[in-house]
Amino acid sequence: MRRTAILIGLLLLPAVALRLFTAIYPFFNTVWLSFHDWNPAFPPQQFVGLKNFQALTRDIAVTSSISFTVLFVTVSTLLEIVLGMAIALMLNRAFFGRGAVRAVNLIPWAIPMVVAAIGFRWMYDTQYGVINDLLHRTIGVKVPWLVDFWGARAAVIATNVWKSTPFVGLVLLAALQGVPQDLYEAGRVDGTNRVSAFFYITLPLIMPQIVTIGLFMVVWQLAAFDLVFAMTGGGPGFATQVLAYRIYQVAFTALNFGYASAISMVLFIVVGIASIIGLLLFRKVEVSL
Amino acid sequence: MRLARAVDSALLAIAVFIFLFIVLFPFYWIVLSSFTPKYELFTIPPRYWFSTFTLENYQALANSIPLVRYFVNSLLFAAGSSLVSVAAAFLASYALARIQFRGANLIFIAFVMSIALPQIGGLVPLFELFKSTNLINTYHGLVILMSSLVLPFTIWILVPFLRQIPYEIEEAAIMDGARLPQLFWFITLPIMRPALVTMFIINFIIAWNELIYPLVFATSGSNKTLSVGLVELAVQPTAGGGRPWDLLSAMSVVMIVPILVLVLLFQRLIVSGLTRGAIK
Repeated sequence: MRRTAILIGLLLLPAVALRLFTAIYPFFNTVWLSFHDWNPAFPPQQFVGLKNFQALTRDIAVTSSISFTVLFVTVSTLLEIVLGMAIALMLNRAFFGRGAVRAVNLIPWAIPMVVAAIGFRWMYDTQYGVINDLLHRTIGVKVPWLVDFWGARAAVIATNVWKSTPFVGLVLLAALQGVPQDLYEAGRVDGTNRVSAFFYITLPLIMPQIVTIGLFMVVWQLAAFDLVFAMTGGGPGFATQVLAYRIYQVAFTALNFGYASAISMVLFIVVGIASIIGLLLFRKVEVSL
Repeated sequence: MRLARAVDSALLAIAVFIFLFIVLFPFYWIVLSSFTPKYELFTIPPRYWFSTFTLENYQALANSIPLVRYFVNSLLFAAGSSLVSVAAAFLASYALARIQFRGANLIFIAFVMSIALPQIGGLVPLFELFKSTNLINTYHGLVILMSSLVLPFTIWILVPFLRQIPYEIEEAAIMDGARLPQLFWFITLPIMRPALVTMFIINFIIAWNELIYPLVFATSGSNKTLSVGLVELAVQPTAGGGRPWDLLSAMSVVMIVPILVLVLLFQRLIVSGLTRGAIK
């Protein structure tokens, strides 16, 4: 009995130690630091109560980063699920070269976000970019993408959707493949056409997986950093500023560790709220099955 | 009826074509730019085909940053992190899937839930911790961070995988007097090989692409990875205010090629690993 306990401890030790050291301890320490003033150049930490939190409600860089983060995540996730569903339905059909197309679908997931960010930044270039050239040739307009408030926001979201949708499509394709074929046969006998088969058979059956992947994308994208860092630097102004990038700047450019921790708390809370909503939603679709 | 089918397959073909165009065009554009001389990149309208094929962007890139050094760093960082994460996850999964003890499921859920802790939120304490333990700018420091980051997902995949394998073979080996190291080496590791290889490749790709940890914790030139080198090129101020798109496109290609090779070689394994978590 005792030997088994020691064995369990030893087997779990590396994994638990890694998580405690790099995730759990930093999390609690961030909570602690958010109530303190701390600039590493002027060492002593000072307890300041809620001062950091009061300051961030008046800080336009933070408030605008909260609003863009929420917008970015909501629009991205909705588009990823709708377009991912379309990709999954397409890849679930039999056609010549399907294996190769499925391999292509994996590529955007696999490449670094920084490469996608930089590649699209080049393509979105107002003067020399290929996107404006294509727009100019087809509909005769040029958009000042990354220097315009809404242009930059649209470009950042579009790049994110380009990068992440195929992954969602991949997961939804696997979900589609798990739907028993005989349900469709039965539907066909009853005279169901393809559109209503999708809405009355497919969609309800894979709803748990849709909610799971949606929750995963929301939580993951709330902490998105690479894209904004490499593509716009949060600009123009604060148009594309996201929470993660704001935290990075306050911590490692302004060296305001206490304040950065308070902004991190905002991120934790937003992630927490999103997770709870997601889990409740998941419960609901699981139960209704 | 026949007409409906023809229309149907035509629509499917159009959808596939649009999909391929949207996914592949950015790659074409980066590759094209990387082989185009700098002065030809800034023309209106842009050139859609290789007009003057050149390798000078790659030459210039190798001259302006320690490209080989960064490449080797990325390789070691990614390989080390995925090796450590898979090893730690393997041991933990064995305890969680094979030994019946109270709280096993709770620990499993705690691991999985810790995925939701945003990496960026813990950077400040981690930075101080790493400073005081002299782990900044060290290879093992980076490997610790990165392997821990991908650990929850790895455990999430490995535990159910091990649970669905019948216990009988291992049981028989234990009856025959196998000790734990022998059991792992001769039975459990071979049985789990497909899952372990899959997670090694997936974690390798994730670590290869990682930006935040190397950006914050590898500040000296000798430890920087390709991702850090790339964003440094992209954000550093330049004389004319524009970006060095010649160097950036060449470096993007350098960074993508190893990933493409992995994806093409291991497509099946990667897809099975990525979808296993969501589909159960």
